[in-house]
Amino acid sequence: MLKHILAGVGLLACTATADARPVSYEGGWTAIGETDRASSALWVHYTPHYEWSLGGRVEWMRDRDLVFTGAQATHLVHRRFRPDSQGNLYAFAGAGVAEGIDGNPRDAEAAGFVGVMADWETRRWFVSWEARLADFGEGGEAMQAARVGWAPYEGDFGDLHTWFMLEVDQRPQRDEPVTVTPLVRFFKGPVLLELGYTPADDEPFASFIYRF
Amino acid sequence: MTRILAAASAAFLFTLSPALADDHGEHAHDDHAHGEHDMQPADMALNEDISAALAAGGSLVTAEVNGMVCDFCAMAMTRTFGRRDEVAAIHVDLDTKVLQLVIREGESMTDEVIRDLVTRSGYETTAIRRGMAD
Repeated sequence: MLKHILAGVGLLACTATADARPVSYEGGWTAIGETDRASSALWVHYTPHYEWSLGGRVEWMRDRDLVFTGAQATHLVHRRFRPDSQGNLYAFAGAGVAEGIDGNPRDAEAAGFVGVMADWETRRWFVSWEARLADFGEGGEAMQAARVGWAPYEGDFGDLHTWFMLEVDQRPQRDEPVTVTPLVRFFKGPVLLELGYTPADDEPFASFIYRF
Repeated sequence: MTRILAAASAAFLFTLSPALADDHGEHAHDDHAHGEHDMQPADMALNEDISAALAAGGSLVTAEVNGMVCDFCAMAMTRTFGRRDEVAAIHVDLDTKVLQLVIREGESMTDEVIRDLVTRSGYETTAIRRGMAD
């Protein structure tokens, strides 16, 4: 059913896992690097207003030797506060060019993507969902990913926080359309690091976020 | 290549280790304490930096903030308030969801400004108290 829904939207290409905290505090910068079973990306963004971030993104679709370079804007559509929890809904879009590298002779072409992301977390539990549609000039693809996480202890500000997470992602165009990635998240001060592994594709997973 | 990137991520974290030890805000005196989970703000012990700033003549402001669940939340608060010259010390306690500020002697910061800065940090103020709890 989900596959049909995604296909019906007209899906385009995409990568990316759930990017934690895509909008920062006003005046804050964030550097994000991530590599998953499909792509590797670097993204740096600035938050001029607490509901917006703007930045540059480079993303390498490894299986196609295709690199996207462009700008990304993210909007915090809604943030729901409770004393012990926080929920967020984001919308994002990016535009730039995609071109072949290494053995791919493709010239640069206009490319872009749109997506939504939602998350909810307490100091013990985390759930998120993200979907993205993109066109990198090679027809349409899409992805979506959902994640659940649990922290075995509650650290205070400045402590090392540890999370155990499980991510399920769907990329209908790939040989393995649905995979599961267990990962561990370490979080301390301005740095977040995630390490995991996707057995179905035999690919490691890693991401880091540095806020400054 | 993915393995290289994973290793680079780990190396990146390692290189940041000095920053991790210190980076709780732009004020060097920013710090944290480990409160009991059910501790009320009124019962919260003052940490060393807050106490020192109060001893220097500052005044205490305590704001209860919704949605602070992680270090990024706390860091947003310390960095936003840390830019203000009138703020002598900052402390965020994730257990009690409390932001403590010490305003320098002779300076002031209105409730409206505090609420605005919390909003600009991405969060929501539910209450502001001034002075030491009874």
